[in-house]
Amino acid sequence: MTKTITLNHITKIEGHASLALGIRKNKVVKCELSSTEGSRYFEGIVRGGKYYAAHEMTSRICGICSCAHVIAAISAIEDAFGYEPTKQTKLLRELLTLGERIRSHATHLYFLALPDYLGYDSALAMAKNYKKELQNALNLMKTGNGIIKLLGARDLHPVSATVGGWLKFPKQEEIEELKKKLLDVKDDAITTCKLFFSLNYPDFTTKGRWSCLMDSKQYAVLDGNFCSKNLCTHKHNYRKFLKEHHVPYSNANFVTVKGERYYVGALSRLNSNNSQLSKDAVKMLKKSKVMLPSKNPYHNNIAQAIEIVHCIDHAVNICDKLEIKEEKLDKLKVKSATGFGAIEVPRGTLWHEYTLDSKGTIKNANIITPTIQNLLNMQEDIRELVPTVLHKKKKNIIMDIEKLIRSYDPCFSCSVHFLEVKWI
Amino acid sequence: MTKLKVGFYNITGCAGCLLSVIFNEDEILDLVELVDLKAFPFVKEVNAEEKFDYVFMEGLVADKDDLAVLKKIRKNAKNLVALGACACTGCVPAYRRYTLKENYEHLIHKKKNGIQDVKPTPIDAHVKVDYFIPGCPPDKKEILNFIKSIVIGKKPVPYESPVCIECRQNNNQCLLDLGKPCLGPITSGGCNAVCINGSFECWGCRGPTKDMNFELMIKMLKDRGFDDIFIENRMRTFVGLKMPIIEKFIDIELKALKLNTKFKGKKDYFE
Repeated sequence: MTKTITLNHITKIEGHASLALGIRKNKVVKCELSSTEGSRYFEGIVRGGKYYAAHEMTSRICGICSCAHVIAAISAIEDAFGYEPTKQTKLLRELLTLGERIRSHATHLYFLALPDYLGYDSALAMAKNYKKELQNALNLMKTGNGIIKLLGARDLHPVSATVGGWLKFPKQEEIEELKKKLLDVKDDAITTCKLFFSLNYPDFTTKGRWSCLMDSKQYAVLDGNFCSKNLCTHKHNYRKFLKEHHVPYSNANFVTVKGERYYVGALSRLNSNNSQLSKDAVKMLKKSKVMLPSKNPYHNNIAQAIEIVHCIDHAVNICDKLEIKEEKLDKLKVKSATGFGAIEVPRGTLWHEYTLDSKGTIKNANIITPTIQNLLNMQEDIRELVPTVLHKKKKNIIMDIEKLIRSYDPCFSCSVHFLEVKWI
Repeated sequence: MTKLKVGFYNITGCAGCLLSVIFNEDEILDLVELVDLKAFPFVKEVNAEEKFDYVFMEGLVADKDDLAVLKKIRKNAKNLVALGACACTGCVPAYRRYTLKENYEHLIHKKKNGIQDVKPTPIDAHVKVDYFIPGCPPDKKEILNFIKSIVIGKKPVPYESPVCIECRQNNNQCLLDLGKPCLGPITSGGCNAVCINGSFECWGCRGPTKDMNFELMIKMLKDRGFDDIFIENRMRTFVGLKMPIIEKFIDIELKALKLNTKFKGKKDYFE
C-alpha cells in the first residue's frame, strides 16, 4: 500500500511549487518536485522587441533578484554586439550585483530560513525574543538596498544600468558615504555568521555536483568560466554543456551538466572559489568548522552568511577603486548576432541568451535561472532524504523536507506558488 | 481597540511587491504590531484562512489556480487591495496579449492536471477590488502610508497627479526635452518620479491619469520621431489592458503593419 499524506502550502519560499511523494514499504516510489507558478512566457514576450528593452522587461521575472536579470540581459546583448563596457561601468555593475547579494542573503537567512531552526512561525513573530538579531537582518537589508537605490535609482527593478553604459552616476561623495555604511554593517555580518554557525544542521550528503563560475582574477561575480567538478565551459558553449529536459508534471524544466544533476548557489561558490574570499570571510570560514568542499545542502545557509562578509569587503574595495567620471553612453554597432550572459547572482549562475537581427530586434531568447538548475538536485535530494527520516513523526519529516528545500533558497517566481507538498 | 485582521498574498508574480512591504526596514517591526497579521505565506508558516479586514494581493491571474485562490480570498476579505502593477494592470506578463502568438507558442507545453493557462489579466477583471496601489513595484513608503491610514480608520486616497509634478519638484531634466519617449505626462504619479530620477524615461507602470491628454502625448512622441509601432509597444508594455484608447488612435495603421510583420521604424531611439 502506498502511504499518502497531503500537506498544503509549504511557505517561506519565493513563488509557488508542489511536491508529490509516494512511499511504499519504506521506499520512495514517487517524488516529483514541480513549479506550479503560473507561466508568464518572458522569453516569448521579449521576442519582437528591441535589444534595449530586454533588461527592462526581464527584470520583472523576479523581485529579489531583479538586478541579476538586468545585468545578465545587458551582458548578453553587449556580447552579441561585441561591445566591451568601460572599467567604471563594470565596477558599477559588480557593486550593484554585490548589493543585491547582501540584501537577498540577509532576507533569505533571517526571514525564510531562520524561523525553522528556532521554532517560530515567522521572523516577524520572533521580534519579541530576537529583536537584536532581526535588527541585524534589517541593517544588512537596508545597506544592500541602499547600494541598489544609489546605483540603480530604485530598490527593485533598477533602471540606471543600461546597454552601453550607465544612465545616471552616483556622486563621488555618495560612494564615500556608502563605504562608511558598508563598514558600519560589517559587525552585523559577523554576528550573522556566528548565529548561523551555531544552528543545528541535519547531516545529509547530496550526490549532485557543485557548479559555478570561476574567475582567475577574483571571487566570481560577472566573469569567468562555468565549472562543474573539473569540467569547465565558456558561456558561448553552454548549450553543449547544459541540457534542458522538459518534465510533463512541471511548469519548469530540469537542467543537467553532461547528463548529471548539479547545484548552484553560495555553497557551490564557496566550494570552488574559497581561496579568493576576503581575509575576514576566510576567518569566518575557519570559525564555521565546515570542511570544504561541503556536499551538505543545509550548509548553504552558512555559505550565504560567509558570503555576506565577503560581499561587504568586496563592495568596500570597489568603493575605494571608484573615481566617478560622467561617461557618455556608448553607441552599439547593431548587427545580427547571438549573445550570452552568465553571471553569479544570489542563488547561483544565471544565464541569458538573445538572438538579434540586423535591426536589433530580438528573434529568440533563452533564460536559465539558478532555481531551475537546482530543481532536479532538490528533487533527488528529497528522494534520498525521506527514507533516512521515515522513523520520525510525519510533522518532523515534513519539516526536514521543508528545511532542505529552503536551504537551496529556491525562487519559483523565477522558475516559471505556496509550496504544496502532496503526499500521494 | 481591536486590531485589523490583515493578510498578504501573492498569485503569479515576482514577489517584488511583497518584498517592498518588508523592505520598510525601519518600520516593519512596528508595522506588524499595528495589525493582526493573519496570513503572509511568503514569510509565515501558519496562515489562517479566515475573515480578513484587508487582504493585499500581489500578482496577476495567469492560470486557473490563481483564479481559484483569488476568488476564495475575495470571499473572505472585507477589503481587497490590488498590490502592485501585476494585480492592477497585468504588467509585463499581460503584454503577451499584444505580441504575436508565434512568439511564445514554442514555450507552451502540456501541463499536469490542474495547471491551465488563462488569459493573463489583472485581478479586477475577475473580482471586485476596493483599493489599488499601483506601480512596478509600488513605492514602499506608499504601502506604509496606506497601512497607517487604514489602521487609524482613514480612507486611503490615491495619488492622481501625473509623474511630471514630482519630477519637477525633484528638479530633474525633462527627458522629453532630451528627445526620450517619457510617458510621465499621462502617467499617475506617487512614485516620486523614481525612474526619471535615475535618468530613465517613464514607461507608465502606474497607469494613465484620469484626465490624461492622450492626443497630445501621441503628438509629442511623434514630433520626437517615434512611430506608431514604437508608441503602441511602449504604452502597452505595463498597462496595455488599461489603455483601450490606444486602439482608437493607432490601430488601423498598426494592423496593416502587423499583417506585413515588417518593422517600418522611422527612428530607433538609440540610433
